[in-house]
Amino acid sequence: MLVMIELELRRLKHDRTELYTRAIQPILWIVVYGTIMSSIAAIPTGGIPYTDFITPGILIQSTTFVSIFYGLTIVWERDSGILKKLLVTPASRYATVIGRSMASGVRAVFQALIIVPVALLVGVNFFPNIAYFALALLIVFFASGGFAAISILIASFLKTRERFMGIGQAITFPLFFASNALYPVSIMPPILQEFSRFNPMSYIVDAVRGLMISGNLTNLPIDLLAIALFDAAMFVLASISFKRIVE
Amino acid sequence: MEHAVDVRGLTKVYDGKVRALDGVDLRVEAGKVFAVLGPNGAGKTTLIRILTTQLKPTSGAASVFGLDVVRDGARIRRLVGYVPQEMSVWTDISGYENLLIYAKIYNVPSPKKRVIEDVLGKMGLSDVGNQLVKTYSGGMIRRLEIACTLLTKPRILFLDEPTIGLDPSARKAVWEELASIREEHGSTIFFNTHYMDEADLYSDEIAIINGGKIVKLGTTAELKRSVGGEVIMLGIESNSVNEDTLGEIRKLNSVNDVIINDSGLTVITKDAESLLPDVVEVLREEGISVTSASITKPTLDDVFQKYAGIRLESGGRISDVTQTRRMIKRG
Repeated sequence: MLVMIELELRRLKHDRTELYTRAIQPILWIVVYGTIMSSIAAIPTGGIPYTDFITPGILIQSTTFVSIFYGLTIVWERDSGILKKLLVTPASRYATVIGRSMASGVRAVFQALIIVPVALLVGVNFFPNIAYFALALLIVFFASGGFAAISILIASFLKTRERFMGIGQAITFPLFFASNALYPVSIMPPILQEFSRFNPMSYIVDAVRGLMISGNLTNLPIDLLAIALFDAAMFVLASISFKRIVE
Repeated sequence: MEHAVDVRGLTKVYDGKVRALDGVDLRVEAGKVFAVLGPNGAGKTTLIRILTTQLKPTSGAASVFGLDVVRDGARIRRLVGYVPQEMSVWTDISGYENLLIYAKIYNVPSPKKRVIEDVLGKMGLSDVGNQLVKTYSGGMIRRLEIACTLLTKPRILFLDEPTIGLDPSARKAVWEELASIREEHGSTIFFNTHYMDEADLYSDEIAIINGGKIVKLGTTAELKRSVGGEVIMLGIESNSVNEDTLGEIRKLNSVNDVIINDSGLTVITKDAESLLPDVVEVLREEGISVTSASITKPTLDDVFQKYAGIRLESGGRISDVTQTRRMIKRG
Protein backbone atom coordinates (compact mmCIF):
# COMPACT_ATOMS: atom_id res chain seq x y z
CA MET A 1 0.00 0.00 0.00
CA LEU A 2 2.70 2.44 1.04
CA VAL A 3 4.59 1.69 -2.12
CA MET A 4 1.77 3.25 -4.19
CA ILE A 5 2.13 6.45 -2.17
CA GLU A 6 5.85 6.34 -2.76
CA LEU A 7 5.18 5.95 -6.48
CA GLU A 8 3.02 9.08 -6.41
CA LEU A 9 5.65 11.08 -4.52
CA ARG A 10 8.28 10.05 -7.04
CA ARG A 11 6.05 11.12 -9.90
CA LEU A 12 5.45 14.47 -8.23
CA LYS A 13 9.15 14.89 -7.70
CA HIS A 14 9.71 14.61 -11.45
CA ASP A 15 6.77 16.69 -12.63
CA ARG A 16 4.89 19.20 -10.53
CA THR A 17 3.19 21.16 -13.29
CA GLU A 18 -0.19 19.60 -12.63
CA LEU A 19 -0.13 20.76 -9.02
CA TYR A 20 0.40 24.34 -10.09
CA THR A 21 -2.07 24.42 -12.95
CA ARG A 22 -4.76 22.78 -10.86
CA ALA A 23 -4.22 25.39 -8.15
CA ILE A 24 -5.21 28.23 -10.48
CA GLN A 25 -8.94 27.60 -10.41
CA PRO A 26 -9.38 27.43 -6.61
CA ILE A 27 -7.20 30.49 -6.19
CA LEU A 28 -9.51 32.38 -8.56
CA TRP A 29 -12.53 31.26 -6.54
CA ILE A 30 -11.00 32.60 -3.37
CA VAL A 31 -9.41 35.75 -4.75
CA VAL A 32 -12.08 36.87 -7.22
CA TYR A 33 -15.36 35.22 -6.26
CA GLY A 34 -14.68 35.39 -2.52
CA THR A 35 -13.68 39.05 -2.53
CA ILE A 36 -16.62 40.16 -4.67
CA MET A 37 -19.23 38.18 -2.76
CA SER A 38 -17.94 39.36 0.61
CA SER A 39 -18.34 42.99 -0.47
CA ILE A 40 -22.10 42.51 -0.82
CA ALA A 41 -22.41 40.40 2.35
CA ALA A 42 -25.49 38.62 1.03
CA ILE A 43 -24.85 35.23 2.56
CA PRO A 44 -25.16 34.56 6.29
CA THR A 45 -21.91 32.99 7.46
CA GLY A 46 -22.24 33.16 11.22
CA GLY A 47 -20.02 36.16 11.69
CA ILE A 48 -17.12 34.86 9.61
CA PRO A 49 -15.87 36.98 6.68
CA TYR A 50 -17.17 35.41 3.46
CA THR A 51 -13.75 34.72 1.94
CA ASP A 52 -12.77 32.91 5.12
CA PHE A 53 -16.04 31.00 5.02
CA ILE A 54 -15.54 29.62 1.54
CA THR A 55 -11.81 28.92 1.76
CA PRO A 56 -12.24 25.43 3.26
CA GLY A 57 -15.01 24.71 0.75
CA ILE A 58 -12.85 25.73 -2.20
CA LEU A 59 -9.94 23.80 -0.77
CA ILE A 60 -12.01 20.63 -0.52
CA GLN A 61 -13.62 21.17 -3.90
CA SER A 62 -10.27 21.49 -5.63
CA THR A 63 -8.65 18.56 -3.82
CA THR A 64 -11.59 16.23 -4.43
CA PHE A 65 -11.51 17.30 -8.07
CA VAL A 66 -7.94 16.14 -8.24
CA SER A 67 -9.04 12.83 -6.79
CA ILE A 68 -12.11 12.36 -8.96
CA PHE A 69 -9.90 12.73 -11.99
CA TYR A 70 -7.35 10.35 -10.54
CA GLY A 71 -9.37 7.67 -12.30
CA LEU A 72 -7.94 9.09 -15.53
CA THR A 73 -4.54 7.83 -14.43
CA ILE A 74 -6.13 4.45 -13.85
CA VAL A 75 -7.76 4.52 -17.29
CA TRP A 76 -4.38 5.38 -18.78
CA GLU A 77 -2.78 2.51 -16.92
CA ARG A 78 -5.51 0.26 -18.21
CA ASP A 79 -4.84 1.30 -21.81
CA SER A 80 -1.20 0.56 -21.24
CA GLY A 81 -0.37 -2.80 -19.66
CA ILE A 82 0.39 -1.52 -16.16
CA LEU A 83 -2.84 -2.65 -14.54
CA LYS A 84 -2.61 -6.09 -16.11
CA LYS A 85 0.86 -6.44 -14.72
CA LEU A 86 -0.21 -5.21 -11.28
CA LEU A 87 -2.99 -7.80 -11.24
CA VAL A 88 -0.42 -10.52 -11.83
CA THR A 89 1.69 -9.47 -8.82
CA PRO A 90 1.16 -10.98 -5.37
CA ALA A 91 -0.23 -7.64 -4.10
CA SER A 92 -3.90 -7.94 -3.11
CA ARG A 93 -6.60 -5.99 -4.89
CA TYR A 94 -7.46 -4.17 -1.69
CA ALA A 95 -3.87 -3.09 -1.17
CA THR A 96 -3.68 -1.87 -4.75
CA VAL A 97 -6.94 0.07 -4.67
CA ILE A 98 -6.47 1.61 -1.23
CA GLY A 99 -2.83 2.35 -1.99
CA ARG A 100 -3.70 4.11 -5.25
CA SER A 101 -6.53 6.04 -3.58
CA MET A 102 -4.33 7.24 -0.77
CA ALA A 103 -1.67 8.13 -3.31
CA SER A 104 -4.18 10.58 -4.70
CA GLY A 105 -4.61 11.89 -1.15
CA VAL A 106 -0.91 12.77 -1.23
CA ARG A 107 -1.46 14.88 -4.31
CA ALA A 108 -4.41 16.55 -2.61
CA VAL A 109 -2.38 17.52 0.44
CA PHE A 110 0.27 19.14 -1.74
CA GLN A 111 -2.50 20.95 -3.56
CA ALA A 112 -3.82 22.25 -0.24
CA LEU A 113 -0.36 23.42 0.73
CA ILE A 114 -0.26 25.61 -2.38
CA ILE A 115 -3.71 27.11 -1.84
CA VAL A 116 -3.32 27.96 1.86
CA PRO A 117 -0.49 30.51 1.47
CA VAL A 118 -2.44 32.28 -1.27
CA ALA A 119 -5.48 32.44 1.00
CA LEU A 120 -3.26 33.90 3.71
CA LEU A 121 -2.12 36.60 1.30
CA VAL A 122 -5.71 37.53 0.51
CA GLY A 123 -6.21 38.03 4.21
CA VAL A 124 -8.03 34.87 5.27
CA ASN A 125 -7.74 34.42 9.05
CA PHE A 126 -6.85 30.84 9.82
CA PHE A 127 -7.53 29.51 13.30
CA PRO A 128 -4.12 29.73 14.92
CA ASN A 129 -3.56 26.16 16.03
CA ILE A 130 -0.99 23.92 14.35
CA ALA A 131 -2.52 20.68 15.63
CA TYR A 132 -5.93 21.67 14.21
CA PHE A 133 -4.32 22.55 10.91
CA ALA A 134 -2.48 19.24 10.74
CA LEU A 135 -5.68 17.35 11.50
CA ALA A 136 -7.41 19.30 8.74
CA LEU A 137 -4.73 18.21 6.27
CA LEU A 138 -5.19 14.64 7.45
CA ILE A 139 -8.90 14.95 6.70
CA VAL A 140 -8.09 16.33 3.25
CA PHE A 141 -5.85 13.30 2.76
CA PHE A 142 -8.44 10.70 3.75
CA ALA A 143 -11.35 12.47 2.09
CA SER A 144 -9.46 12.64 -1.19
CA GLY A 145 -8.65 8.97 -0.83
CA GLY A 146 -12.38 8.25 -0.66
CA PHE A 147 -13.10 10.32 -3.76
CA ALA A 148 -10.23 8.65 -5.62
CA ALA A 149 -11.84 5.31 -4.77
CA ILE A 150 -15.11 6.57 -6.33
CA SER A 151 -13.02 7.52 -9.30
CA ILE A 152 -11.50 4.04 -9.55
CA LEU A 153 -14.98 2.59 -9.23
CA ILE A 154 -16.20 4.75 -12.11
CA ALA A 155 -13.09 3.94 -14.14
CA SER A 156 -13.75 0.24 -13.76
CA PHE A 157 -17.17 0.70 -15.36
CA LEU A 158 -16.43 3.30 -18.02
CA LYS A 159 -12.98 2.23 -19.13
CA THR A 160 -12.40 5.07 -21.59
CA ARG A 161 -11.00 8.52 -21.12
CA GLU A 162 -13.72 10.38 -23.01
CA ARG A 163 -16.62 8.94 -21.06
CA PHE A 164 -14.70 9.52 -17.90
CA MET A 165 -14.18 13.24 -18.43
CA GLY A 166 -17.91 13.84 -18.71
CA ILE A 167 -18.87 11.81 -15.68
CA GLY A 168 -16.15 13.39 -13.57
CA GLN A 169 -17.67 16.84 -14.01
CA ALA A 170 -21.19 15.53 -13.61
CA ILE A 171 -20.34 14.14 -10.18
CA THR A 172 -18.18 16.82 -8.65
CA PHE A 173 -20.22 19.91 -9.43
CA PRO A 174 -23.51 18.66 -7.96
CA LEU A 175 -21.66 17.52 -4.86
CA PHE A 176 -19.98 20.90 -4.64
CA PHE A 177 -23.12 23.02 -5.09
CA ALA A 178 -25.25 20.81 -2.87
CA SER A 179 -22.83 21.15 0.00
CA ASN A 180 -22.01 23.82 2.53
CA ALA A 181 -18.91 24.81 0.59
CA LEU A 182 -20.17 28.18 -0.72
CA TYR A 183 -23.16 28.87 1.55
CA PRO A 184 -24.63 27.40 4.72
CA VAL A 185 -26.99 24.46 4.26
CA SER A 186 -29.76 26.37 6.06
CA ILE A 187 -30.35 28.74 3.11
CA MET A 188 -30.75 25.95 0.55
CA PRO A 189 -34.13 24.76 -0.73
CA PRO A 190 -35.46 21.87 1.46
CA ILE A 191 -34.77 19.21 -1.17
CA LEU A 192 -31.14 20.20 -1.44
CA GLN A 193 -30.90 20.31 2.34
CA GLU A 194 -32.02 16.68 2.44
CA PHE A 195 -29.51 15.77 -0.26
CA SER A 196 -26.78 17.62 1.59
CA ARG A 197 -27.21 15.29 4.55
CA PHE A 198 -26.00 12.42 2.38
CA ASN A 199 -23.32 14.46 0.69
CA PRO A 200 -19.89 13.48 1.98
CA MET A 201 -18.54 16.82 0.87
CA SER A 202 -20.67 18.65 3.44
CA TYR A 203 -19.15 16.68 6.28
CA ILE A 204 -15.65 17.14 4.96
CA VAL A 205 -16.08 20.89 4.50
CA ASP A 206 -17.67 21.20 7.93
CA ALA A 207 -14.79 19.40 9.62
CA VAL A 208 -12.11 21.37 7.80
CA ARG A 209 -13.92 24.68 8.38
CA GLY A 210 -14.11 23.93 12.08
CA LEU A 211 -10.44 23.09 12.29
CA MET A 212 -9.02 25.73 9.99
CA ILE A 213 -11.25 28.76 10.40
CA SER A 214 -13.79 28.84 13.21
CA GLY A 215 -12.18 26.57 15.79
CA ASN A 216 -15.69 25.26 16.52
CA LEU A 217 -15.39 21.50 16.83
CA THR A 218 -18.89 20.54 18.05
CA ASN A 219 -19.71 18.58 14.88
CA LEU A 220 -16.26 17.08 14.44
CA PRO A 221 -17.02 13.56 15.80
CA ILE A 222 -20.02 13.17 13.47
CA ASP A 223 -18.03 14.55 10.55
CA LEU A 224 -15.16 12.15 11.17
CA LEU A 225 -17.55 9.23 11.47
CA ALA A 226 -19.23 10.16 8.19
CA ILE A 227 -15.87 10.47 6.42
CA ALA A 228 -14.68 7.12 7.79
CA LEU A 229 -17.88 5.38 6.66
CA PHE A 230 -17.64 7.02 3.26
CA ASP A 231 -14.01 5.95 2.82
CA ALA A 232 -14.63 2.38 3.97
CA ALA A 233 -17.62 1.96 1.67
CA MET A 234 -15.80 3.37 -1.34
CA PHE A 235 -12.66 1.30 -0.73
CA VAL A 236 -14.68 -1.91 -0.57
CA LEU A 237 -16.77 -1.11 -3.66
CA ALA A 238 -13.76 -0.01 -5.68
CA SER A 239 -11.77 -3.10 -4.71
CA ILE A 240 -14.63 -5.39 -5.67
CA SER A 241 -15.05 -3.82 -9.07
CA PHE A 242 -11.34 -3.33 -9.69
CA LYS A 243 -10.79 -6.67 -11.38
CA ARG A 244 -13.49 -5.80 -13.88
CA ILE A 245 -11.40 -2.94 -15.20
CA VAL A 246 -9.04 -5.03 -17.31
CA GLU A 247 -11.60 -7.51 -18.61
CA MET B 1 6.66 -35.24 -14.36
CA GLU B 2 4.91 -32.06 -13.34
CA HIS B 3 4.27 -29.79 -16.30
CA ALA B 4 5.04 -26.09 -16.18
CA VAL B 5 1.77 -25.49 -18.00
CA ASP B 6 -1.06 -27.97 -18.37
CA VAL B 7 -4.17 -26.89 -20.25
CA ARG B 8 -7.11 -29.21 -20.91
CA GLY B 9 -10.27 -28.48 -22.85
CA LEU B 10 -9.95 -24.77 -22.17
CA THR B 11 -12.64 -22.48 -23.55
CA LYS B 12 -13.27 -18.81 -23.02
CA VAL B 13 -16.40 -17.07 -24.24
CA TYR B 14 -16.61 -13.30 -23.85
CA ASP B 15 -20.03 -11.83 -23.09
CA GLY B 16 -21.68 -15.10 -24.07
CA LYS B 17 -20.86 -14.38 -27.71
CA VAL B 18 -17.24 -14.21 -28.75
CA ARG B 19 -15.55 -17.60 -28.52
CA ALA B 20 -11.91 -16.62 -28.00
CA LEU B 21 -10.70 -20.08 -27.00
CA ASP B 22 -12.42 -23.23 -28.15
CA GLY B 23 -11.15 -26.38 -26.45
CA VAL B 24 -7.43 -25.78 -26.14
CA ASP B 25 -5.20 -28.65 -24.97
CA LEU B 26 -1.49 -28.25 -24.41
CA ARG B 27 1.29 -29.17 -22.04
CA VAL B 28 4.63 -27.45 -21.60
CA GLU B 29 7.58 -29.15 -19.94
CA ALA B 30 9.48 -27.19 -17.31
CA GLY B 31 12.57 -25.43 -18.61
CA LYS B 32 11.41 -25.31 -22.23
CA VAL B 33 10.75 -22.32 -24.46
CA PHE B 34 7.22 -22.64 -25.78
CA ALA B 35 5.79 -20.46 -28.54
CA VAL B 36 2.14 -19.91 -29.34
CA LEU B 37 2.02 -18.79 -32.94
CA GLY B 38 -1.03 -17.37 -34.59
CA PRO B 39 -2.56 -14.37 -36.32
CA ASN B 40 -4.14 -11.50 -34.43
CA GLY B 41 -7.42 -12.47 -32.83
CA ALA B 42 -6.52 -16.16 -32.70
CA GLY B 43 -6.85 -16.28 -28.91
CA LYS B 44 -3.17 -16.05 -27.95
CA THR B 45 -3.58 -13.19 -25.50
CA THR B 46 -6.68 -14.69 -23.93
CA LEU B 47 -4.73 -17.88 -23.29
CA ILE B 48 -1.88 -16.03 -21.61
CA ARG B 49 -4.27 -13.94 -19.55
CA ILE B 50 -6.04 -17.04 -18.26
CA LEU B 51 -2.71 -18.64 -17.39
CA THR B 52 -1.64 -15.51 -15.50
CA THR B 53 -4.95 -15.58 -13.54
CA GLN B 54 -6.34 -12.35 -14.97
CA LEU B 55 -9.34 -14.01 -16.59
CA LYS B 56 -11.42 -16.99 -15.52
CA PRO B 57 -11.90 -19.74 -18.08
CA THR B 58 -15.48 -20.41 -19.19
CA SER B 59 -14.84 -24.14 -19.04
CA GLY B 60 -11.97 -26.58 -18.97
CA ALA B 61 -8.94 -26.54 -16.71
CA ALA B 62 -5.54 -24.91 -16.70
CA SER B 63 -2.69 -25.20 -14.25
CA VAL B 64 0.76 -23.73 -13.81
CA PHE B 65 3.23 -26.00 -12.02
CA GLY B 66 0.32 -28.07 -10.77
CA LEU B 67 -1.54 -25.03 -9.37
CA ASP B 68 -5.03 -24.42 -10.69
CA VAL B 69 -5.49 -20.98 -12.27
CA VAL B 70 -8.87 -20.46 -10.63
CA ARG B 71 -8.32 -21.88 -7.14
CA ASP B 72 -4.63 -21.18 -6.55
CA GLY B 73 -4.34 -17.79 -8.24
CA ALA B 74 -2.47 -16.16 -5.36
CA ARG B 75 0.17 -18.91 -5.33
CA ILE B 76 0.63 -18.80 -9.10
CA ARG B 77 1.18 -15.05 -8.98
CA ARG B 78 4.22 -15.64 -6.77
CA LEU B 79 5.81 -17.97 -9.35
CA VAL B 80 5.30 -16.15 -12.60
CA GLY B 81 6.79 -13.21 -14.38
CA TYR B 82 4.53 -11.53 -16.91
CA VAL B 83 5.08 -8.97 -19.63
CA PRO B 84 1.84 -7.83 -21.27
CA GLN B 85 1.71 -6.87 -24.91
CA GLU B 86 1.15 -3.21 -24.13
CA MET B 87 3.72 -1.06 -22.42
CA SER B 88 3.66 -1.72 -18.69
CA VAL B 89 6.03 0.68 -16.98
CA TRP B 90 5.45 4.18 -15.63
CA THR B 91 6.99 6.65 -18.02
CA ASP B 92 7.06 9.65 -15.70
CA ILE B 93 9.60 8.13 -13.33
CA SER B 94 13.04 6.63 -13.99
CA GLY B 95 13.82 3.04 -14.92
CA TYR B 96 15.44 2.54 -11.54
CA GLU B 97 12.34 3.83 -9.77
CA ASN B 98 10.10 1.50 -11.76
CA LEU B 99 12.17 -1.41 -10.60
CA LEU B 100 12.19 -0.10 -7.03
CA ILE B 101 8.37 0.05 -6.95
CA TYR B 102 8.10 -3.51 -8.28
CA ALA B 103 10.83 -4.71 -5.90
CA LYS B 104 8.69 -3.41 -3.05
CA ILE B 105 5.49 -4.92 -4.43
CA TYR B 106 7.24 -8.28 -4.68
CA ASN B 107 8.94 -7.87 -1.32
CA VAL B 108 12.38 -8.48 -2.78
CA PRO B 109 14.76 -8.91 0.18
CA SER B 110 17.24 -6.11 0.84
CA PRO B 111 19.61 -4.80 -0.30
CA LYS B 112 17.13 -3.89 -3.04
CA LYS B 113 19.56 -1.43 -4.56
CA ARG B 114 22.01 -4.19 -5.41
CA VAL B 115 19.30 -6.47 -6.86
CA ILE B 116 18.00 -3.62 -9.02
CA GLU B 117 21.43 -2.58 -10.23
CA ASP B 118 22.09 -6.21 -11.03
CA VAL B 119 19.03 -6.62 -13.26
CA LEU B 120 19.63 -3.23 -14.88
CA GLY B 121 23.13 -4.41 -15.72
CA LYS B 122 21.87 -7.70 -17.12
CA MET B 123 19.44 -5.90 -19.40
CA GLY B 124 22.10 -3.42 -20.51
CA LEU B 125 20.31 -0.46 -18.95
CA SER B 126 22.85 0.58 -16.30
CA ASP B 127 23.71 3.81 -18.08
CA VAL B 128 20.12 5.00 -18.39
CA GLY B 129 18.75 3.70 -15.08
CA ASN B 130 18.29 7.18 -13.66
CA GLN B 131 16.71 8.71 -16.73
CA LEU B 132 12.95 9.05 -17.11
CA VAL B 133 11.41 6.14 -19.01
CA LYS B 134 9.85 8.72 -21.39
CA THR B 135 13.28 9.14 -22.93
CA TYR B 136 13.75 5.40 -23.61
CA SER B 137 13.50 3.71 -27.01
CA GLY B 138 10.97 0.92 -27.57
CA GLY B 139 13.64 -1.74 -27.16
CA MET B 140 14.88 -0.22 -23.91
CA ILE B 141 11.33 -0.13 -22.52
CA ARG B 142 10.88 -3.79 -23.40
CA ARG B 143 14.12 -4.67 -21.69
CA LEU B 144 13.06 -2.68 -18.63
CA GLU B 145 9.79 -4.63 -18.57
CA ILE B 146 11.67 -7.90 -18.69
CA ALA B 147 14.02 -6.57 -16.00
CA CYS B 148 10.95 -6.09 -13.77
CA THR B 149 10.18 -9.79 -13.99
CA LEU B 150 13.77 -10.74 -13.16
CA LEU B 151 13.63 -9.17 -9.71
CA THR B 152 12.10 -12.38 -8.40
CA LYS B 153 13.74 -15.08 -10.55
CA PRO B 154 10.38 -16.44 -11.73
CA ARG B 155 9.96 -20.14 -12.50
CA ILE B 156 8.02 -19.27 -15.61
CA LEU B 157 7.89 -16.17 -17.77
CA PHE B 158 4.74 -15.32 -19.72
CA LEU B 159 5.53 -12.93 -22.55
CA ASP B 160 2.75 -11.58 -24.72
CA GLU B 161 4.28 -10.55 -28.05
CA PRO B 162 7.63 -9.73 -26.43
CA THR B 163 9.11 -8.02 -29.46
CA ILE B 164 6.12 -6.37 -31.10
CA GLY B 165 7.03 -3.07 -32.68
CA LEU B 166 10.78 -3.49 -32.20
CA ASP B 167 13.37 -3.20 -34.93
CA PRO B 168 15.34 -6.36 -35.82
CA SER B 169 18.41 -5.53 -33.74
CA ALA B 170 16.30 -4.71 -30.67
CA ARG B 171 14.40 -7.97 -31.18
CA LYS B 172 17.64 -9.87 -31.27
CA ALA B 173 18.90 -8.17 -28.11
CA VAL B 174 15.69 -9.05 -26.24
CA TRP B 175 16.02 -12.70 -27.23
CA GLU B 176 19.65 -12.85 -26.23
CA GLU B 177 18.70 -11.61 -22.77
CA LEU B 178 15.88 -14.13 -22.56
CA ALA B 179 18.21 -16.96 -23.50
CA SER B 180 20.64 -16.01 -20.76
CA ILE B 181 17.82 -15.80 -18.19
CA ARG B 182 16.75 -19.27 -19.11
CA GLU B 183 20.27 -20.55 -18.79
CA GLU B 184 20.80 -18.86 -15.44
CA HIS B 185 17.51 -19.61 -13.66
CA GLY B 186 16.22 -22.55 -15.66
CA SER B 187 13.01 -20.58 -16.16
CA THR B 188 10.35 -21.85 -18.49
CA ILE B 189 9.43 -19.31 -21.15
CA PHE B 190 5.93 -19.22 -22.63
CA PHE B 191 5.45 -16.61 -25.33
CA ASN B 192 2.95 -15.46 -27.90
CA THR B 193 4.02 -14.24 -31.26
CA HIS B 194 2.89 -13.73 -34.80
CA TYR B 195 6.49 -13.53 -36.03
CA MET B 196 7.20 -16.86 -37.63
CA ASP B 197 10.96 -16.45 -37.59
CA GLU B 198 10.87 -15.80 -33.87
CA ALA B 199 8.98 -18.97 -33.10
CA ASP B 200 11.28 -20.79 -35.50
CA LEU B 201 14.55 -19.54 -34.02
CA TYR B 202 13.93 -19.36 -30.32
CA SER B 203 11.39 -21.96 -29.27
CA ASP B 204 11.71 -25.63 -28.38
CA GLU B 205 8.10 -26.29 -29.16
CA ILE B 206 5.38 -24.45 -31.04
CA ALA B 207 1.61 -24.49 -30.84
CA ILE B 208 -0.13 -23.08 -33.88
CA ILE B 209 -3.37 -21.46 -32.88
CA ASN B 210 -6.15 -20.19 -35.08
CA GLY B 211 -9.73 -19.32 -34.32
CA GLY B 212 -9.31 -20.30 -30.66
CA LYS B 213 -8.11 -23.81 -31.48
CA ILE B 214 -4.64 -25.35 -31.41
CA VAL B 215 -4.34 -26.64 -34.94
CA LYS B 216 -0.88 -28.20 -34.61
CA LEU B 217 1.68 -28.82 -31.89
CA GLY B 218 5.29 -29.88 -32.16
CA THR B 219 8.93 -28.85 -32.46
CA THR B 220 9.86 -26.67 -35.39
CA ALA B 221 11.48 -29.60 -37.14
CA GLU B 222 8.47 -31.85 -36.61
CA LEU B 223 6.11 -29.22 -37.90
CA LYS B 224 8.15 -28.62 -41.02
CA ARG B 225 8.53 -32.32 -41.67
CA SER B 226 4.80 -32.78 -41.33
CA VAL B 227 4.08 -30.61 -44.37
CA GLY B 228 6.19 -32.84 -46.60
CA GLY B 229 9.87 -33.46 -47.12
CA GLU B 230 12.81 -31.29 -47.84
CA VAL B 231 13.95 -31.20 -51.43
CA ILE B 232 17.43 -31.66 -52.96
CA MET B 233 17.84 -30.60 -56.56
CA LEU B 234 21.00 -31.59 -58.45
CA GLY B 235 22.00 -30.42 -61.88
CA ILE B 236 23.16 -33.42 -63.97
CA GLU B 237 22.87 -34.74 -67.50
CA SER B 238 19.52 -36.52 -67.31
CA ASN B 239 20.44 -39.25 -69.80
CA SER B 240 23.58 -40.15 -67.83
CA VAL B 241 21.61 -41.76 -65.00
CA ASN B 242 20.40 -45.33 -65.29
CA GLU B 243 17.86 -47.23 -63.20
CA ASP B 244 20.58 -48.91 -61.10
CA THR B 245 21.91 -45.56 -59.96
CA LEU B 246 18.43 -44.39 -59.02
CA GLY B 247 17.99 -47.65 -57.11
CA GLU B 248 21.21 -46.97 -55.20
CA ILE B 249 19.98 -43.54 -54.22
CA ARG B 250 16.57 -44.87 -53.16
CA LYS B 251 18.32 -47.27 -50.82
CA LEU B 252 20.01 -44.42 -48.96
CA ASN B 253 18.70 -43.60 -45.49
CA SER B 254 15.72 -41.23 -45.21
CA VAL B 255 15.05 -40.92 -48.93
CA ASN B 256 11.33 -40.60 -49.67
CA ASP B 257 11.36 -40.27 -53.40
CA VAL B 258 13.71 -39.77 -56.35
CA ILE B 259 12.61 -38.14 -59.58
CA ILE B 260 14.65 -37.63 -62.72
CA ASN B 261 13.66 -35.23 -65.45
CA ASP B 262 15.18 -32.77 -67.92
CA SER B 263 16.10 -30.23 -65.30
CA GLY B 264 18.03 -32.79 -63.26
CA LEU B 265 17.65 -35.03 -60.28
CA THR B 266 15.17 -34.31 -57.48
CA VAL B 267 15.41 -36.15 -54.15
CA ILE B 268 12.72 -35.77 -51.50
CA THR B 269 13.86 -36.52 -47.98
CA LYS B 270 13.43 -35.80 -44.27
CA ASP B 271 16.86 -34.35 -43.85
CA ALA B 272 18.38 -32.78 -46.91
CA GLU B 273 21.60 -31.48 -45.38
CA SER B 274 22.95 -34.83 -44.21
CA LEU B 275 21.72 -36.69 -47.28
CA LEU B 276 23.24 -34.40 -49.88
CA PRO B 277 26.86 -35.67 -49.56
CA ASP B 278 25.68 -39.29 -49.78
CA VAL B 279 23.75 -38.65 -52.98
CA VAL B 280 26.68 -36.83 -54.53
CA GLU B 281 28.95 -39.69 -53.48
CA VAL B 282 26.74 -42.29 -55.24
CA LEU B 283 26.69 -40.21 -58.41
CA ARG B 284 30.45 -39.75 -58.37
CA GLU B 285 31.00 -43.50 -58.06
CA GLU B 286 28.93 -43.90 -61.22
CA GLY B 287 31.06 -41.26 -62.91
CA ILE B 288 28.27 -38.69 -63.15
CA SER B 289 29.30 -35.09 -62.64
CA VAL B 290 27.10 -32.70 -60.64
CA THR B 291 26.94 -29.16 -62.01
CA SER B 292 24.76 -27.54 -59.32
CA ALA B 293 23.04 -28.35 -56.04
CA SER B 294 20.25 -26.69 -54.07
CA ILE B 295 18.16 -27.47 -51.01
CA THR B 296 14.62 -26.25 -50.43
CA LYS B 297 12.97 -26.55 -47.04
CA PRO B 298 9.40 -25.92 -46.00
CA THR B 299 8.99 -22.79 -43.85
CA LEU B 300 6.77 -22.32 -40.85
CA ASP B 301 4.63 -20.27 -43.16
CA ASP B 302 3.98 -23.42 -45.20
CA VAL B 303 3.18 -25.21 -41.94
CA PHE B 304 0.89 -22.45 -40.90
CA GLN B 305 -0.86 -22.42 -44.22
CA LYS B 306 -1.40 -26.15 -44.17
CA TYR B 307 -2.93 -26.27 -40.68
CA ALA B 308 -4.56 -22.90 -40.26
CA GLY B 309 -5.66 -22.63 -43.87
CA ILE B 310 -4.43 -19.05 -44.12
CA ARG B 311 -1.14 -17.23 -44.42
CA LEU B 312 0.11 -15.35 -41.39
CA GLU B 313 -0.03 -11.80 -42.52
CA SER B 314 2.00 -9.12 -40.89
CA GLY B 315 0.19 -5.96 -41.88
CA GLY B 316 -2.92 -4.47 -40.36
CA ARG B 317 -3.24 -4.49 -36.66
CA ILE B 318 0.43 -4.86 -35.85
CA SER B 319 1.15 -1.36 -37.01
CA ASP B 320 -1.85 -0.26 -34.95
CA VAL B 321 -0.31 -1.78 -31.86
CA THR B 322 3.00 -0.15 -32.61
CA GLN B 323 1.25 3.16 -32.94
CA THR B 324 -0.60 2.63 -29.70
CA ARG B 325 2.64 1.93 -27.94
CA ARG B 326 4.09 5.12 -29.30
CA MET B 327 1.02 7.08 -28.29
CA ILE B 328 1.13 5.67 -24.79
CA LYS B 329 4.77 6.51 -24.55
CA ARG B 330 4.07 10.09 -25.40
CA GLY B 331 1.43 10.09 -22.67
